[in-house]
Amino acid sequence: MTSTLAFGPPATSPGRATFPALAIRETRRLVLNPVFLAAVAFIAFALWAGPDAGQTEIDTSNPYAAISLGGFGMMATYWLTRSMRASEPVVGVTPVTQPARTAALCAVALVPFACGCLALLRFVQLTPVSSPLYGPFSPSARVAVLVGQIVVPALGGPLLGVALGRWVRFPGAAFVLFLLIYGWVSLVTILSMSHANSALVAVLRLFAPFAFFTLHSDAGGVTAWRGSPWFFIGWQLALCAIAVLVALLRGAEGRTRSRIIRALGVAGVAALILLVLAALGGFTHPLTA
Amino acid sequence: MATASISLRDVGRTFGATRALAGVDLDLKPGVTGLLGPNGAGKTTLLRLLATALPPSQGKVNVLGLDPEVPAERTGIRRQLGYQPQEVGFPRGFTAFAFVDYIALLKEWTQPAARHAEVRRVLDLVGLSDLGAKRIRAMSGGQRRRVSLAQALLGSPPVLILDEPTTGVDPEQRVTLRTVLAELARTSIVVLSTHQTEDVAALCERVIVLDRGQVRYDGPVTDLTGQAAGRVWLADEPDPAASVSWRTGTGRYRNVGGRVRGDVEHVEPSLEDAYLLLRGGSPQTEAAEEVAS
Repeated sequence: MTSTLAFGPPATSPGRATFPALAIRETRRLVLNPVFLAAVAFIAFALWAGPDAGQTEIDTSNPYAAISLGGFGMMATYWLTRSMRASEPVVGVTPVTQPARTAALCAVALVPFACGCLALLRFVQLTPVSSPLYGPFSPSARVAVLVGQIVVPALGGPLLGVALGRWVRFPGAAFVLFLLIYGWVSLVTILSMSHANSALVAVLRLFAPFAFFTLHSDAGGVTAWRGSPWFFIGWQLALCAIAVLVALLRGAEGRTRSRIIRALGVAGVAALILLVLAALGGFTHPLTA
Repeated sequence: MATASISLRDVGRTFGATRALAGVDLDLKPGVTGLLGPNGAGKTTLLRLLATALPPSQGKVNVLGLDPEVPAERTGIRRQLGYQPQEVGFPRGFTAFAFVDYIALLKEWTQPAARHAEVRRVLDLVGLSDLGAKRIRAMSGGQRRRVSLAQALLGSPPVLILDEPTTGVDPEQRVTLRTVLAELARTSIVVLSTHQTEDVAALCERVIVLDRGQVRYDGPVTDLTGQAAGRVWLADEPDPAASVSWRTGTGRYRNVGGRVRGDVEHVEPSLEDAYLLLRGGSPQTEAAEEVAS
């Protein structure tokens, strides 16, 4: 033992300087997480190593990013959030409050988001927006469909994982939620096939963090379903905001808590309005190219 | 400059219908204060209150002039606090260095070079400098205990709250830790809860005995030990007059308690004897009076 005791105030720089350092630390932990690494490897293989040059349907490969970066990203951030729970007796009495730690965890979602952006660029390279595979959507609406299906789930899934990790104790909660969302999206997609003209089914189809906008029919045509992809992105982003706010609420107190609750109310109303607009906007009925 | 202090006034804490602490009044100054008491006496609750991990149900706590019930002031306290809880879990995959480094970051050591130097220093203090790269989950219980102590020592905090710091730690390390804590206590308020009376006797100037959530004794260790003078004796058989008797390694019985006697083979009382005497129901005041006379 060679150290001597060093008394006096530590060389700290309290306050906001801690946040970026903590966010970088958490980001490093995420990128070393085996589940997240597997997700990145999967999407890289799916879009770079093994692209199908002769694809006839965009809906075959564009959910890959949502499943890997969104779904597996959610499991990774859930694990990341829960990993410090056992150390809470120590972590909980440090100067960095729980909402501040949560904010740093939310910041790590920028990594899967960036991966989602890269995946989008690669997808557009493989399947240009001018391709007839998108059906009757305008070029800008096609971009909106892809952003809503590839980029935003890559951001939202990890944020949802943080919120879940802050509030749920069950270790397999993220996996169960992933299965539930997957099941729900599949169910409402099947309903949309059988009730393509139903406004109610359109609302149900869009009442999810991921939704298909096209269906490749057996006859070789592409059916573009009703609904606005642009407003759907707004709805998805509102869900992201709700996930962040719900995560931040854990451990918040005083004025911070009141502000978060107020913001949650605003985000909830915005989400509802955007969902209705998403369902009412776009095509008024399904169109086949 | 005013001396750093902690004060508790009529502090109580309940968990549902269970009263863990009641009417506790304390003033703590720099130095080592030992906290003794049986299981369920309220020691951990008291330490959690001091560490701002738990608010009191009644009364007022003041740490270094700051009120832990005010969020901003609580953060101010936490900037000057080291806390080793009774039990701490460690995240999977973390090495000792990585864990202490993570806690250092949460203690606002944002400069990597300074932080790493500090982490190495505290790991060295607890004798883990060679095991910094070892995964905590692969460590022994005593080594894990030392990791949790290391994080509490970060920055040599003015307030150090330790809940059973030497449990599972080998005797050699315990002596080393005593040296570290004694040195720190020159300027810091160190409060440690333990069942090891020898640690309290070796390290603390002051001891507080808690029983059923209330302070049973608060004073110098030597005074408490002195209350057992003349009440500890050796005999070939357990003495029915004693409150507690046990067979020692020599085969004779150590008897503690009862009235001060002159017709037996007295031995020097230890803090443990005094503690057992106190716990055995002998009124503290009566014992003090007898010692005085």
